[in-house]
Amino acid sequence: MNSSGGMSGPLYFEDVTVGDTERFGRYEVTREEIIEYARQFDPQPFHTDEAAAKESIYGGLIASGWHSGSLLMRMFYEAVFRDAASMGSPGIDELRWLKPVRPGDTLSFRATVLEATPSRSKPDRGLIKTQCELLNQHGEVVMSLKPINFIRRRPAL
Amino acid sequence: MKYWEDIKVGDTGDLGSYTVTEEEILAFAKKYDPQPFHLDREAAKQSIFGGLIASGWHSCAIMMRMSVEHMRREQLAGVGSPGIDSCRWLKPVRPGDTLTVRTEITESWRSKSRPIGFVRRRADMLNQHGEVVLTVVGVGMFERKGEPPPPARRADQ
Repeated sequence: MNSSGGMSGPLYFEDVTVGDTERFGRYEVTREEIIEYARQFDPQPFHTDEAAAKESIYGGLIASGWHSGSLLMRMFYEAVFRDAASMGSPGIDELRWLKPVRPGDTLSFRATVLEATPSRSKPDRGLIKTQCELLNQHGEVVMSLKPINFIRRRPAL
Repeated sequence: MKYWEDIKVGDTGDLGSYTVTEEEILAFAKKYDPQPFHLDREAAKQSIFGGLIASGWHSCAIMMRMSVEHMRREQLAGVGSPGIDSCRWLKPVRPGDTLTVRTEITESWRSKSRPIGFVRRRADMLNQHGEVVLTVVGVGMFERKGEPPPPARRADQ
């Protein structure tokens, strides 16, 4: 996997090798966006209310886990999908929220290709399974997941 | 308030219904998942999906919102989640779809180290045609009856 699409055209299934690993992205999460996301999608007090969050099990405001996932999606897009022949995703396995994401945290992510299998039923695509880890500025893994993605196979010339 | 003890294996739930607009599909995609089939009406028409579809992270966020509203109605003392076993995007979610979610509790166990309990829940999101568009199997954490609420962790823990 690499993010060098552009010049050489999109990233196809054939460009992905099991074991490839890369670290991408750098994103600082603000208090405002944690609250904004949570108000819309996950209005639990420890995501929306600073004072209530202090008294909660988390000891302070934390991002919704789905917000962290959505931010990872954005970073993945910027680094890989922008230039990849993506055909969507059937799902995710083993998503774990391991540490809270807090205001001011700087997130990056690491992705390792676990499996790359040509589709048996649809010859135009292959299936990639990746181990993704979202890290904070202390190098701690805050979230891990194994997304599955369909990527177009390189068309014959 | 309802606590971990009040949630039983086999319990089923109905989380209500929600109609998705094109405007919100585009707004979510612009922020978190700007792949053309989520963001661009014309490009989406030419894609394998044949039209605009919601980001899978958006469908999950909508399911989360419906879960939080359900917890409020039922006065459930939820304290977050350690993760998701599997998430499957089975059918596209399109503008104007009316989504419902039904849930079933499949497992329940006490934390050995903290005054909380865990439940495993399967949640199926259906569209107005009765098709399952998303299935999420995940774990939720709840306060236990008669126990002090779990102590706050310091923000640096």
